[in-house]
Amino acid sequence: MRISNVTVKRRLLFFLTIGLIAFAIFIARLAYLQIFENNWLMNYALNSWSREIPYEAERGRILDTRGKVLATNVSSPSVLVVPRQVKDKNKTADQLSSVLNMSKKRAYEKISKNESIVRITPEGRKISNEKAAEVKALGLPGVFVAEDFKRDYPKGNFLAHVLGFAGIDNQGLTGLESYYNEGLEGKDGHVAFFSDVNGNRMSDLKDEYIPPKSGASLMLTVDSRVQSIVERELNNAVAAYHPDSALAIAMDPNTGAILGMSSKPDYNPEKYKTVSPDVYNHNLPIWKTYEPGSTFKVITLSAALQEKAVDLKKDHFYDSGSIEVGGAHLHCWKKGGHGSESFLEVVQNSCNPGFVALGERIGKDKLFSYIDKFGFGVKTGIDLQGEAKGILFNKDKIGPLEAATTAFGQGVSVTPIQQITAVSAAINGGYLYQPQLAKAWVDTDTGKVINRIEPVMKRKVISENTSKQVRDTLESVVAQGTGRNAFVQGYRVGGKTGTAQKVDPKTGRYLSNDYIVSFMGFAPADNPKITVYVSIDHPKNTVQFGGTVSAPIAGRIIGDSLSAMGVKKQKGGLEKEVRYPDQPMIKIPDLKGMDKNDLRNALFNLKLETKGDGDVVTMQSPKPGIKVKQGSTIMVYLGDKKKADD
Amino acid sequence: MRKYRQSPDLILLGIAFTLLILGLTMVYSASAVKAASQFGDSLYFLKRQLLFAVVGVGLMFAVMRIDYHFWGAWAKLALIACYVLLCVVLIPGVGLARGGARSWLGVGAFSIQPSEFTKVALIIFLAKSLSEHQSLLPNFWRGLVRSFLPVLLAFGLIMLQPDLGTGMVLVLTCVIMIFIAGARIKHFVMMGSLGVLGFVGLIVSAPYRIKRLTSFVDPWQDPKQGGFQIIQSLLAIGPGGLLGFGLGQSRQKYQYLPEPQTDFIFSIVSEELGFIGASFVLVLFFLLLWRGILIAMKAPDLFGTLLAVGITGMIAIQIMINIAVVTGLIPVTGITLPFLSYGGSSLTLMLVSIGILLNVSKHAH
Repeated sequence: MRISNVTVKRRLLFFLTIGLIAFAIFIARLAYLQIFENNWLMNYALNSWSREIPYEAERGRILDTRGKVLATNVSSPSVLVVPRQVKDKNKTADQLSSVLNMSKKRAYEKISKNESIVRITPEGRKISNEKAAEVKALGLPGVFVAEDFKRDYPKGNFLAHVLGFAGIDNQGLTGLESYYNEGLEGKDGHVAFFSDVNGNRMSDLKDEYIPPKSGASLMLTVDSRVQSIVERELNNAVAAYHPDSALAIAMDPNTGAILGMSSKPDYNPEKYKTVSPDVYNHNLPIWKTYEPGSTFKVITLSAALQEKAVDLKKDHFYDSGSIEVGGAHLHCWKKGGHGSESFLEVVQNSCNPGFVALGERIGKDKLFSYIDKFGFGVKTGIDLQGEAKGILFNKDKIGPLEAATTAFGQGVSVTPIQQITAVSAAINGGYLYQPQLAKAWVDTDTGKVINRIEPVMKRKVISENTSKQVRDTLESVVAQGTGRNAFVQGYRVGGKTGTAQKVDPKTGRYLSNDYIVSFMGFAPADNPKITVYVSIDHPKNTVQFGGTVSAPIAGRIIGDSLSAMGVKKQKGGLEKEVRYPDQPMIKIPDLKGMDKNDLRNALFNLKLETKGDGDVVTMQSPKPGIKVKQGSTIMVYLGDKKKADD
Repeated sequence: MRKYRQSPDLILLGIAFTLLILGLTMVYSASAVKAASQFGDSLYFLKRQLLFAVVGVGLMFAVMRIDYHFWGAWAKLALIACYVLLCVVLIPGVGLARGGARSWLGVGAFSIQPSEFTKVALIIFLAKSLSEHQSLLPNFWRGLVRSFLPVLLAFGLIMLQPDLGTGMVLVLTCVIMIFIAGARIKHFVMMGSLGVLGFVGLIVSAPYRIKRLTSFVDPWQDPKQGGFQIIQSLLAIGPGGLLGFGLGQSRQKYQYLPEPQTDFIFSIVSEELGFIGASFVLVLFFLLLWRGILIAMKAPDLFGTLLAVGITGMIAIQIMINIAVVTGLIPVTGITLPFLSYGGSSLTLMLVSIGILLNVSKHAH
């Protein structure tokens, strides 16, 4: 069969048509890519051509309430490597590793990474200026030194747990640094230059500089003058008593603002890596939970007064030394009891059976509803992470015994911040505030306030009138009762001591001879400006009693802080039972043979220093009968009973 | 003495020269950075390409003077020689492997690709045999299948290298020739379906081809690996815009785009000369196709027609596949762009082919 030339020609034209269509498609495709998608592809390409040298943003500073710097930054060089520009990998790795104290193998791996820019982390991050100069002096191609910032805490351990610290990438890891990280961290900037694959500049494209944006600075409610006093007192307490731990909080009762907060053992935030995480992760004032002991009686007292369950002066109670509740005997700390006393004296003496009776007068449901209202059992909401809730009795299982022990501060587990917040509410007119550390955000560069953080009032718990009665009563505890050692001349101080037995976490039983001694105080009593809570865990070489150990510390913190804050001294408060300076001399009693636990009954006005490990006093100095000034220190030697009898 | 009826197709000659000069310019522009960093001589690639261009143009004019019927007489022998070379190149140690395919024979820069020569030899052979046995073509076995057998043999040998791109060009060119020679449409549909099945089989049989296919579907998913080449190509073409960055101003040639002087030279053309310049090149290519088909139509005999179609088809198919690849229309296949890409064998052969075409044009009736 013959195939005609016509067929061939037709098919040739068909082939040409296919070609025409194909080329039309190509031109359309080019138009789409080069005109329609031009912008998008251009941006993508610019990104792929640009090499960014990062500029780290300066982290916002942390300031105290008057603008004193608590955390800031120092510029600190870091080593950057552009692997493609490295000429001699072996030599570079060798020299770099010896300057930066790293293994050559590691250095080699770093500079061989298939990335445009590599940071030598951590050996080459935030190094000293000397080291940076050494690296620069090597003159290695592809190795650069960039300016980074290193977090600096100019006051060292000062406020460490509250401030927390920031890590190597300036990210907040603990404390306020972590809680307010978003506001503090700022935004990194960079210089972008355009380069070929080898990192050489493509000179016809301009460099692009995006400046870093500093983070905002955080102004705190903390007053560094108050904080200094708190730190000083706790350091002294640690030196004197070698406690397991010690903590103190100072709060403005009228706003919930924290004026000072510290705990020991502490650490230097710049050297957090050398410290056990148990130390820096546990901010004791908000983390630690324990039986509060007698400081908790302020809550019982407030409830009783608000419910009008008692007339402190007229109503009396007979303390036989113990009280029976639900078949159990609850003992007063004083052997033999306080005898007949008014309820005001019950508070002044911190008499446990008296408070059991007070709790019964309130009624268990009412009592527990006040405990809830005062904020126990839930987080206070302070602007820190890691706050504990504490443990209250399960509401369905509260019997008379649980209600009775709760009334004097046993069987419940609370945090220091819950206590000081609750007591502040009890004495400030009845307003429960959320404790707060942040006061305002401040522009780091201009120093102008960006926004103020207002106090948060949660609820009214008791009436103004009840609150005034609580203040007056607690003032008398300091003037005339167990809190005498907190007395500050010229300021009307109110307060309450606390001595709580610790519970062995393994057995659930009370530990013998292991107490947390505390004091909750405030001043001036008629118009409180500061609330202070001090808690010393297991002080050694002393009588473990809140009135002996913690009250004087709290007293000094209150007195010094008020005068530092410029609160004028005043007159007209309750005076200490005996006026200064007509202070009578005290005749030292014979303590020999006395049980160690009974020591705290007798000696409110004298300081005791103990030596030895026994339970019974074997020797004392000065000798009995000698007259000394109030507040003098008596040294007692403790031994075992047999020896004392000799 | 005037032996021919016509002077050669001067338009085709003009197109070829324009493309040749454009190609030399672009090879220099695209390769200078790479040449400087690799060989310390930015003219490294240009010098070599220039050498082949001179040799190629000389050969083109020589071939133009040789009556194309001469090639028909030698076609069988040349094709057999090519088959031998295709076998030799597969021997490890003799054949040189570059980019995963054992396709080269020779030493260093002066090496040749037997598959390039096979294409031309096969076109001549097929034109000859189809023109002699055209009447058998409508017969499926004795016509169509018999014509395909030498094509399949060459394709099989090339696939052993493996070089799918060249293999595809070879098969498609021969398909066009057989189609134009007058094979039945229904046979074509049958063979076409078979071909598609075989093609799918080839893709599935090699994992790297599947990967190319998936990264073609969405190259931005994996910009550093599978999608790298095509993305770098699009990043050259797109920013070029309407007018381009100007000759020599490509950024992607700074070693972002792999092989800027060979497979992806059209991306650099688009980047430096813009939509206008790139379209101009495409129009030149289309004019080349048009002149080729015109020559085929005017050829005095079927051998001349099929020879012209074969050469034009080969060039057109290579252009289309290359452009479709660099603009991201089809998956990446290693095929150079005629006249523009760097490559001695390819350029010389293109010019020789144009020489044959020009000779056919001289016989136009």
